[in-house]
Amino acid sequence: MALFEVFQTTFFLALLSLRTYQSEVLAERLPLTPVSLKVSTNSARQSLHLQWTVQNLPYHQELKMVFQIQISRIETSNVIWVGNYSTTVKWNQVLHWSWESELPLECATHFVRIKSAVDDARFPEPNFWSNWSSWEEVNVQDSLGQDILFVFPKDKLVEEGANVTICYVSRNIQNNVSCYWEGQQIYGEQLDPHVSVFHLSSVPFIRKTGADMYCEVSQGNVSKGIKGIVLFVSKVLEEPKDFSCETQDFKTLHCTWDPGVDTALGWSKQPSQSYTLFESFSGEKKLCTHKNWCNWQITQDSQETYNFTLIAENYLRKRSVNILFNLTHQVYPMNPFSVNFENVNVTNAIMTWKVHSMKNNFTYLCQIEVYCEGKMMQYNVSVKVNGEYLLSELEPATEYMAQVRCADASHFWKWSQWSGQKFTTLEAAPSEAPDVWRNVNSEPGSHIVTLFWKPLSKLHANGKILFYNVVVENLDKPSRAEIHSIPAPAKSTKLTLDRHSYQIWVTANNSVGASPASVIVISADPENQEVEEERIVDTEGGFSLSWKPQPGDVVGYVVDWCDHPQYTLCDLQWKNVDPNATSTVISTDAFRPGVRYNFRIYGLSTKRIARLLEKKTGYSQELAPSDNPHVLVDKLTSHSFTLSWKYYSTESQPGFIQGYHVYLKSKARQCHPRFEKAVLSDGSECCKYKIDNPEEKALIVDNLKPKSFYEFFVTPFTSAGEGPNATFTKVTTPDEHSSMLIYILLPMFFCVLLIMIVCYLKSQWIKETCYPDIPDPYKSSILSLIKFKEKPHLTIMNVSDCIPDAIEVVSKPEGTKIQFRKSLTETDLTQPNYLYLLPTEKNYCGPGPFICFENLTYNQAASDSGSCGHVPVPLQPSPSQLGLMISPENVQKALEKNYMNSLGEISAGETSLNYVSQLASPMSGDKDSLPTNPVEPPHCSEYKRQMAVPLCLASPPPTENSSLSSITLLNPGEHYR
Amino acid sequence: MKVLAAGVVPLLLVLHWRHGAGSPLPITPVNATCAIRHPCHNNLMNQIRSQLAQLNGSANALFILYYTAQGEPFPNNLDKLCGPNVTDFPPFHANGTEKARLVELYRIVVYLGTALGNITRDQKILNPSALSLHSKLNATADILRGLLSNVLCRLCSKYHVAHVDVTYGPDTSGKDVFQKKKLGCQLLGKYKQVIGVLAQAF
Repeated sequence: MALFEVFQTTFFLALLSLRTYQSEVLAERLPLTPVSLKVSTNSARQSLHLQWTVQNLPYHQELKMVFQIQISRIETSNVIWVGNYSTTVKWNQVLHWSWESELPLECATHFVRIKSAVDDARFPEPNFWSNWSSWEEVNVQDSLGQDILFVFPKDKLVEEGANVTICYVSRNIQNNVSCYWEGQQIYGEQLDPHVSVFHLSSVPFIRKTGADMYCEVSQGNVSKGIKGIVLFVSKVLEEPKDFSCETQDFKTLHCTWDPGVDTALGWSKQPSQSYTLFESFSGEKKLCTHKNWCNWQITQDSQETYNFTLIAENYLRKRSVNILFNLTHQVYPMNPFSVNFENVNVTNAIMTWKVHSMKNNFTYLCQIEVYCEGKMMQYNVSVKVNGEYLLSELEPATEYMAQVRCADASHFWKWSQWSGQKFTTLEAAPSEAPDVWRNVNSEPGSHIVTLFWKPLSKLHANGKILFYNVVVENLDKPSRAEIHSIPAPAKSTKLTLDRHSYQIWVTANNSVGASPASVIVISADPENQEVEEERIVDTEGGFSLSWKPQPGDVVGYVVDWCDHPQYTLCDLQWKNVDPNATSTVISTDAFRPGVRYNFRIYGLSTKRIARLLEKKTGYSQELAPSDNPHVLVDKLTSHSFTLSWKYYSTESQPGFIQGYHVYLKSKARQCHPRFEKAVLSDGSECCKYKIDNPEEKALIVDNLKPKSFYEFFVTPFTSAGEGPNATFTKVTTPDEHSSMLIYILLPMFFCVLLIMIVCYLKSQWIKETCYPDIPDPYKSSILSLIKFKEKPHLTIMNVSDCIPDAIEVVSKPEGTKIQFRKSLTETDLTQPNYLYLLPTEKNYCGPGPFICFENLTYNQAASDSGSCGHVPVPLQPSPSQLGLMISPENVQKALEKNYMNSLGEISAGETSLNYVSQLASPMSGDKDSLPTNPVEPPHCSEYKRQMAVPLCLASPPPTENSSLSSITLLNPGEHYR
Repeated sequence: MKVLAAGVVPLLLVLHWRHGAGSPLPITPVNATCAIRHPCHNNLMNQIRSQLAQLNGSANALFILYYTAQGEPFPNNLDKLCGPNVTDFPPFHANGTEKARLVELYRIVVYLGTALGNITRDQKILNPSALSLHSKLNATADILRGLLSNVLCRLCSKYHVAHVDVTYGPDTSGKDVFQKKKLGCQLLGKYKQVIGVLAQAF
């Protein structure tokens, strides 16, 4: 042992001596200078690649050395980077080192030099550096070409958020260069007269096809060219999330993860990130072909624990996540299968299913969910291979959805997917009596009873209701009950019952059986309709109804109403209320604003007889009246009129009519006493009168002015407001005196009419009295004129004094009278017929003698000298004479003159005078006495027209020929034909 | 040069060897007789006019589709980046004889055919998801091939022209992405301009 220690000590001493010797040798050879420095460039990566060797290194020696590298830009003195590079150097080894520049290498000349030092533990003495190598110049610009402008770096790939330096090289410093980044001009700093650099900080991801920067070189305003680059900015590679692995069969592991954003870029600059799965225990690796999942084959049954690393990688970055797990804890079972239901009855069913077999003794925990109409029941059961579970407490005739899923009972990891089936339980008889109500309309001798019932809920129907049985039994006299079967889904039926009490049973029936009966009794007495109706208001929750508690036995109350009272089929609804309650709230979505709902409250006696207790009416929301009344105006006087709208129905309005507003417009500024001023919606002013009683449907508007214009408008109002706007109706009051005039004029009219009638009836008498055919000369007004002239010697010849020469009375038969009339009409009216009483030879012109009279009163000669011995004088009334007729004075004078002349003539030549009596006028009233054929020749007689002098002097002849009369004052001897 | 030989020449061969394209003119000897595999249609000029009108109708849409797909700054700097400043584009004289015009048309179609082929190739790499642009480029190239065939037929059958010196569109394979995008835009701008003139001239 001692020998061994001595040997060991000797060996170490020898070794130490050897090393000391070697160090001395090396030290003697130092310095170890780097030589053969060569610098190359990689423009795409903007990197300088250095390679060199170390001189003086002993043969087959390794030595740890440190190299200091200096990099200058533009000029050697401008050192931009200094760094050390340590490595073990072998003899004759070519060393490599790279440096990446943030500035594109094309933008500036770079210089590199290197020196070295021994950094080996075998040489503990202080190191000293070798000399610097000579500067190596790297100038890429020289190889660019002859273009006037260059922009760098080209097609560079960077990560979002990186800082990027861009430069341009302009060959001509006279040129102006403008640069734009994504369309926005950017400004850089000048590196030298030809080169400018731009620093883009934290570049964003813009698009997969890269972001563009371009520079435009121009001289003056002339563009010389455009050069640009595309900068490919990649999104930052994200760490995969939610990485997990699981197995369904212990043969394959299925690993999934969320990959995050896709970092792929266009121009194949960067593909989508790749994913690699590495398992550390087995040392196996797998490149995943999908971006979010990967399958791993389990090859060794013995391996239970796995340590997976998922590595995401793109050109710029690498990310990884790791999971460590036990295989048996990551079991995701496959879906259960063969789900079935056995022994399905009314309330129970047995559910069975199968699960995939796994390892031995593998136990599943299975979960069952049973759904029915929104309800869900959940059960858990432990299963080896075949599952079975009794589903109980099910509803009859109900479709259920049952599903099952399973998980590893030992180490829960995940539930499997659901597997399910539907099944339906069997029907049972309905469990509850239908809710029945009735509406009774009493008619003479009968009741029309309409029965209503509500369909049973699914819970109580226990199946599909097929029909309803209605059994009617007369309570007053024993008889066979009537059975009516009403097929579903009818909800009502109508019965006509006589005036007896009836008991009615209603049952609902399905395929299994009938429900309990619902009983209702119809009393023989007619329903009490004399219940006062009370108005109610809808609160927010609905109509709140309350009623007085009823003495005696009441088994309950029923409130009924119509959901749609405006329709014939009003959809009767009812609500059953407990006997102890005296109020309820009726609320339904069917209630609409502006509809009046009528509620009837019935009390149900122990005998199931319903008695009407109270009536309520109200609106869920009152609205303003929908229409205005049609107003009639009557009793219109000069001071008042009456407005009435008695046919306006207040019941059919969308609110309780509270009254009416009567608007009155007039020219007067002031309103009448009962009216108040109001402003209409159009801004005009008027007077308003409010009627507070809705049943008061008339208004007397008085204190009006006669012959004035008024406008009125009547509109009802509810609590929600007035009726719709409408046009005003116009009324004009009559004149005050017009009625008086009517009172006067009407009797006058009747008096005149009476007089006219009397005159007509007594015309003959009047004629004879007032203007006889043969005027009485003594009554003539001429006399007064004569008296006025004071010629008392003149006398009126009396007819009795005149002795006619001859008178021939021609008897005239009845037939000739007609003929005579005819001849008169046929004869020219200018040829009047005369009855000649004084026949002469000359004037004989017919078969019989004629009598000719001349009335001296008129001083007119016979017109026809041939017939009456007068010399014919042409009818030429002088203008002066016509003109004299214009004024009454002149007429008077003319009359006087003519009268005097005629009197003179009479006195001078009395032998030639003919007296022409008016009685002889063929147009006299006594025409019947005329000869039958007096008109041959036509000029044998002539009627002398009397002058149209004042009434007292002459009267117009009542003949047809009067139309030919001319108001002319004739001179003596003048004839008017 | 290798790229040129590998890309453009085969492309031209394919262009000429398509159905009805006739003999490849550039490789026909000067004194060779004009040989056509298939008889030419009687209404060749009508077909040529129709094809020119068809190209003219779709040129602007293709141009818009192209510069939109490139993204900024192209859509807003069309005059700078997409101006029709193509220096070596074959000339066209609308007032020349029909033969001269057809010869010039032939040169232009050959030039455009190669240029469009390069643009299509570049865009499929740069903009792999711009399917409508790819489709439009392919459709235009198809019509150009048909037009080339018809022009050749006309030249051969009527004017017995067997050889035309042609130039090809610029090769972009060695250029950076920005240059490719810009050159494509300029070429399509030029195409839009010249196809209108051609459609008018025929």
